[in-house]
Parts: sequence; C-alpha cells; structure tokens
Amino acid sequence: MRKHIILIVAAVVMTASVASSQDLTGEDIIHEVDDLMTIQTAYAKMKMTIETSSGQKRTFVYESWTKDEGEKNLIRYLEPSRVKDQAILMLNNANDIWMFFPRTQRVRKLATHAKKQKMQGSDFSYEDMGGSGEFEEDFVAQRLEDEEKNGHDCYKVELVRKPEGDLSYSRLLLWVIKENFYPVVIEYYDEDDPTYLQKTLTQSNIEVIDGIPTAKKMLMQNLNDQTQTVMEIVEIEYDVELDDRMFTERNLKK
Amino acid sequence: MKKRALIVLNFAFVLLFMFVASIHAYSKVDLFGYYESQVMGAKVKDSFYQLYANKLRVDLKSDFSSNVTFAANFDYITYHGKKQWNILDFLSSEITSQVPDALKPLYVIPFSNRHFLDNAYLRLSFKPFDLTLGKQQISLGTGYVWNPVDVFNIKDILDPTYEQPGHNAMRMDVPIGLASTATALYAPGEEWKNSSKMLLFKTRVSRFDLSVIGIEKTWRFHDYTVFDPAQMSFLELPEKRRLLGASTAGQLLGLGVWAEFAYNWMDQTDDFYELVVGTDYTFDFQTYFLVEYYRNTLGKKDYRDYTINDWMRNFAQEQKAVSRDQVYALVQHPATDLMTVSLSSIISISDHSMALVPTVMYSFSQNVDIFAYLNLNVGKEGTYFANTMGNGGFVRVRVYF
Repeated sequence: MRKHIILIVAAVVMTASVASSQDLTGEDIIHEVDDLMTIQTAYAKMKMTIETSSGQKRTFVYESWTKDEGEKNLIRYLEPSRVKDQAILMLNNANDIWMFFPRTQRVRKLATHAKKQKMQGSDFSYEDMGGSGEFEEDFVAQRLEDEEKNGHDCYKVELVRKPEGDLSYSRLLLWVIKENFYPVVIEYYDEDDPTYLQKTLTQSNIEVIDGIPTAKKMLMQNLNDQTQTVMEIVEIEYDVELDDRMFTERNLKK
Repeated sequence: MKKRALIVLNFAFVLLFMFVASIHAYSKVDLFGYYESQVMGAKVKDSFYQLYANKLRVDLKSDFSSNVTFAANFDYITYHGKKQWNILDFLSSEITSQVPDALKPLYVIPFSNRHFLDNAYLRLSFKPFDLTLGKQQISLGTGYVWNPVDVFNIKDILDPTYEQPGHNAMRMDVPIGLASTATALYAPGEEWKNSSKMLLFKTRVSRFDLSVIGIEKTWRFHDYTVFDPAQMSFLELPEKRRLLGASTAGQLLGLGVWAEFAYNWMDQTDDFYELVVGTDYTFDFQTYFLVEYYRNTLGKKDYRDYTINDWMRNFAQEQKAVSRDQVYALVQHPATDLMTVSLSSIISISDHSMALVPTVMYSFSQNVDIFAYLNLNVGKEGTYFANTMGNGGFVRVRVYF
C-alpha cells in the first residue's frame, strides 16, 4: 500500500501473459499492480507542497533513496531552511525509523506507532512514505465493476485489510488503468470504520521514465482536515547503484 | 574601555560576517541559520521580571568532497531587561537565611551579551572510519529530557529539544558491519589527566538499539558556601568522574520504549547513579503521548534536606536534579494544520511538587515559527517546583534563512 507513494513507481513489464481483462480477478489485478511498483533501487528529488485549510502553503524539497523494493529508505530535506539536513532512515518497510536532527546531531529511534504521524505536517504519513508494502500481502482484493476515472479506462478494486494486518487503513478502493495497471486513484478508509473515507490520492502526469510508468504528480486530499498535499517529482532515476552502507546511521548523520 | 571592547567585537563580527558572505559568494558553502527573538517573564514574589534576548545563528556547511565536510556556526546573542537574576530570590527563606549577607550578591546569574563560535569542525570520512575534529555537538543517550550517560550537556527541562553548545573534541566513529559502531572521543583539557575520554559501542539487536559507554572526565563541583578570593568565585572542587553506562531504545507491545543507566564513580564526593525509563505512543487521532521517569541519587528524597549547594549546582548545571525521583509527561496534538499544542508536566515525586507547561507551536509562515509556553509551578515553599520559583511565560519567534 505504501510503495505506490514512495516513488510512485512502477516497473511495468506489461506482460503479454496477462489473461484477457474480463478474466482477471481482483487478486490478479493487484498482483500486476504490485509487480508494477516493485523496483529495486531509485533516487528521487521531490517537492512537497502542503495546502492548509486556510489556503496557506508550505513547501518542502527533499531527496530520497530507496533500495530492495522499498524495504530501505532514506530521506534528506533540502528546503526550507527550517528543516534543512534533517533526515529520516526507514528500514524493514518503515517498521524501524530513525530521525536525525542536524543542529543537535541527535539521532532518535522511533517506534512503529510514529508511522501514523504526518510527515512534516503533510497529508502523507510516514507509513505512506516508507516501505514497499504489498497490497497482496496486506489486503484481500475483490474486483468491482469497471469504471472510467480521470479519463482512463480502469479496473476498480476493493482491498480489505487482512485480520492480522497492522495498517492505518481498513479498506482501500483503487482505480487501476487497464492499459498499464497503474493505480490512478486510491481512496483510503478509516482504520476502524471501513465506510469512512479519510484520504484520496490522485496520480497524474504519468510518464514513462527509464521504461517505468511514473506519476510525476500526486495529490493527497485529506477529507477529514480539509487539507491537501501535492507531491511532485523534480528528478528521478531508477536502477541506481546504492550501497547498503547508505542506509545506516552513519550515513544518516552526513 | 568596555565600550571600546564592544566596538572592537562588533567590528570583528561584521568582518566575520563579510568573510562568510564572501566565502558563500565564491565557493560552494551553504550559508543558513536563523534569527530568534524571545521574551521571558516571571512573577517572583511581588515583582514581575522580564528578560529579552535576540539571537542570530549563522551556519556554514561545505562538502569539499564526498569524504570531507566542514561545518560551523557562529552565535551572536544580546540580552535586555533584567539581566541579572539572583538565585536567592527563588529559594525558600530556610535556605537563604543560611547565606551570609556579604555573600548574597554573589548568587547572581548574569545574562551578558556574547558572540562566539559555537561549533566548527571538520569531518574526514574514510572507508573504515569517520574522524571529526573541532568544536562539535556531542549528543549521547536515548532519553528525551534527561540523559544519564551524557556528561557533556544538560537539557533544559522546559525546552528539552533546544540545541546544545559545541564541545572541542576529536572523535572517531568506526562502523562495524551495517548496524554497529564503535566510537572513541577525546576532549582535551590542560593535561591528559584532566581531559575527557569516552568509548562507546552501539549496536542493534532485533528491534532495539543498544549502547554501552564509558567516560572519564574531570568534574567541577563548586562549594557555593565558600568564596575563593584567588579565583574571585566560589570554591571549585575538581575531581575525577568515571562513568559506566548503557542505553537502549526500541519497541515493546507497540509502544516506543527507551532506558538509560549510568553509574558514576567520584574521586572525592559520593558515587551516584542516574536512571531513565521512558515510553511514547502516537494515537490514530494524531495525539502523541510521552512519559519519562528519572532517578538521580545525587538528588535528595526529602526537600527539607536540600542545601544551597544542591540548588546552585543544579542552576549551574553541575548536577541534573535536586530531588531524587522525577517524572516528565507530555501530551501533544496538532490542533490545526499549522499549530501544535502540548501540555507537559514535570513531577518531582520526592517532594510532591510539579511544574505544568502548556505549550503552543505555530508555523507562521514557511520559515517563521512561534513557540510559547507558560510555566506554572505547583509546590510548597522549599520544594523543587515551589510556587515561589516564579510562575511565568516565554515566547520565541524564530526566522530561518
């Protein structure tokens, strides 16, 4: 569930082996989405703009590195000055988080519950940002009636959290582009109330970069708080060479 | 004479600023920092004291290459309002009555304008180790408010995340595998024997970070009842302090947990230990809760045993507590998308006193923050958080550039 946001990425090997669209089950579609989003390594420079309920804007620019299908993540802020050089290391699909504060040179280990916190007050939580997370692993999928969404002919899939799952959302609704299995809209429902819509993610400006369809713009709308956050890719590179030593506390402090 | 010195210092500051600006213009040096203006007010007995402070922090950072980093910051601070606070104004009459009248003016904490190089260090990164040389931050331990293993800093319990001063040291960090690090630190004094030495080993076991630490440092308690005319200050009592400690941070039953312990062997005074245990949690509705327990056996169990030395050593940051057992609790919630409100309380279990600190943090604009708190002490006279300690408030506006 999380990896779609992370670098929004997708290694689409548009498989010819996929059965005809009518035969696909919800699980088949989600399997394709998972495959699409599975990337080994990536580097990205992102711009995140938070628009508050009063219309004020806060803009952040950060770099991120990801490895092992999103299992390892490192984020380092470049702007604004207030958070410059702050960094976050997430390992084990964001189950282990360390934050680095440059002015005190202090590294603080955060427990899993910190994933629920908003990233710099945005509408993306750390859980949304980190880890690869597999839809297949975390949810049970059911295909609903196909729909057109944002100009794309889409499969509509409902994902219900597995009973053993430890996620902040009880249910997701996905609109997946039939042509390339890219999830163009995702609705996130409350952890306890599967009928209560919390957030909507809309992915647009989809371009193929290094052979991988990539949404260059993501809009997360928080219906609870009446706020929204736009994430834009300034720069992205797939299959970059990243040493495991990059994802250590030593590198976090650099 | 004083005025001339001030002019010279100001001139030096301007020159430094021009130097920094020219470096910034001609090389790849990042120039950033902040300006903050703060006001603190406190009702003490029948008076209301105010202290204003302006601080300009200029940071420089340059990565000369992938393995050489230079970073520094210069602080310029001015104070206005009540610039001299006599500690005796805050203490119980039982304590102050023990102080001879002739010594009473000496218990003053002055807030003098100052500018100084806070941090300035070079980090050389080799494949097998990192070497950091110069004035640098030394942050040790996992505690949020108290850090028993950190003999270099004492946090402000009302503002525990505020930055700490830089320390002159040589530090070597040797990574061992991906999850462990061995660190050696040497902070030179006049001689080897009164220099600080530290060895630290940090590793990860399952979901926990673990570290063990050993430190030797010359500790400088003062006797605040004896004036030393040779030094024109209270009598200094240097002694060797040896610390052996451990800290951990991880997760248990979904809660964040951490603990820190340090035993201190003192050459002259009594040995003591410090212990911290803490936990935190974020609820689904974004409310964050933190609680931390702290024990320091230098602190007294009964407030009637507090002495002027206990209080002064605490104010002078020679010891972290006056009372033995304390608990810090914090509840924080994002009230709006730009404002976070919190309520913290520091409870001195030993003497049944408490400080309540409601706090507001507001993001005024992209690079402007406003931070404010009230400090309300609830305790009878003579206790750690006695209401005679002065109830008050604090506002800070900070602009980052």
